[in-house]
Amino acid sequence: MVHYKLIYFNLRGRGELARLVLHHQEVAFEDFRFEREEWPKYKAGTPFGQVPVLEVDGKPLAQSNAIARYLARQHGLAGQNEWEQSQADMYVDCIYDLISGTRPIIYETDKEKQKEILQKFLKETVNPHLEKLEQQLIKNGTGFLVGKSITWADLAYYSFFSPMTERFGDSVIDNSPHLKKLVEHVANIPQIKKYVETRPKTTL
Amino acid sequence: MPVYKLHYFNNPRQGRAELSRLILSQAGVEFQDIRFAHCEWPAIKPTTPFGHVPILEVDGRVLAQSNTIARYLAKKHGLAGQDEWEEALADMYADNIHDLLNAVAVPFVEKDPVKKKELYQNFMRITIAPHVAAVEKQLKKNNTGYLVGNQLTWADLAYYAYFSDFLEVKFGSAFLKAAPRLKALIDRVKALPNVQKWTAYRDATYPEDKE
Repeated sequence: MVHYKLIYFNLRGRGELARLVLHHQEVAFEDFRFEREEWPKYKAGTPFGQVPVLEVDGKPLAQSNAIARYLARQHGLAGQNEWEQSQADMYVDCIYDLISGTRPIIYETDKEKQKEILQKFLKETVNPHLEKLEQQLIKNGTGFLVGKSITWADLAYYSFFSPMTERFGDSVIDNSPHLKKLVEHVANIPQIKKYVETRPKTTL
Repeated sequence: MPVYKLHYFNNPRQGRAELSRLILSQAGVEFQDIRFAHCEWPAIKPTTPFGHVPILEVDGRVLAQSNTIARYLAKKHGLAGQDEWEEALADMYADNIHDLLNAVAVPFVEKDPVKKKELYQNFMRITIAPHVAAVEKQLKKNNTGYLVGNQLTWADLAYYAYFSDFLEVKFGSAFLKAAPRLKALIDRVKALPNVQKWTAYRDATYPEDKE
């Protein structure tokens, strides 16, 4: 039995997708979390001065998407064939770009300015993406992003848009009925629901 | 052999399509290297899956996102790693480069020459230097001359594209003085016959980026 230790801040952020993959597939792991003030203690021990890091029987793997992809592939959430796997990769990369786009918003302390940056981000980046995404979901026709069943790509979209709507309101995905349905579907999966109810409550 | 059509801007000449071009070239695989002018982009943009390039057409099906494309090609053509763990490590390194490309975009797009110089200096000191030190440590640990396992993967090509074909060309090799293993790796990749063939063809065929 492989031992997984996922090392990250006590936040959802870029660590949450790996956690969701493991919880969805009901794979045991050590969910190692530390508070921001403790970061200097752990930073030097990471391969590139960043977290998340996944230790697999003590061997370290860095980069949030490399970690989540490895776990998805090991535990049957990556897609049914090569092409589906690449499609899933593509969607997760889109989420990576969106996460990066939220950084200026999260770190803006002036409330008015934050609202402004958020509106710009929604208008110029999120909404155009969601328009394309709705088309892709309709085209695929199964309710899932890739193929006929859930993949880590669906978890990635849940992982990003669930906190977004929580923080900035349902209007973020109001005009994307297929995505809304997908996010709700993931939220109601028993293993996910149970994890969300019991995980530490964090702002990010 | 599938028909590959890789679509990207003609400027930057390298940018986010170069890694895929290197993978295909190193693997000796033919591809259509489609480059379009920025004035053509408004017409092309709505035809892409997410309004971005590069995109890869594979026998008519379309893949987007630069690292997804590169990973797909690397896997298809024996450059992804020898088992799933090595594949994950290669993914990790490719993601490092993806982050570094995002980070260098800031000085790259700055128009004020004084501010640009300052941004690049800070970038080299704050972002590049620590990363070079970290990678050097990993290369020492792996001890094969390659980033992953004991043979070339797309991770090595990604580091070559960024550190040799971009940063070294721009700033010289001084920033690699304390990283002999990284320097040796990018030199080794640079000297690969198929890489040399590709860069010679590219340099002769496409004009240098005006920055």
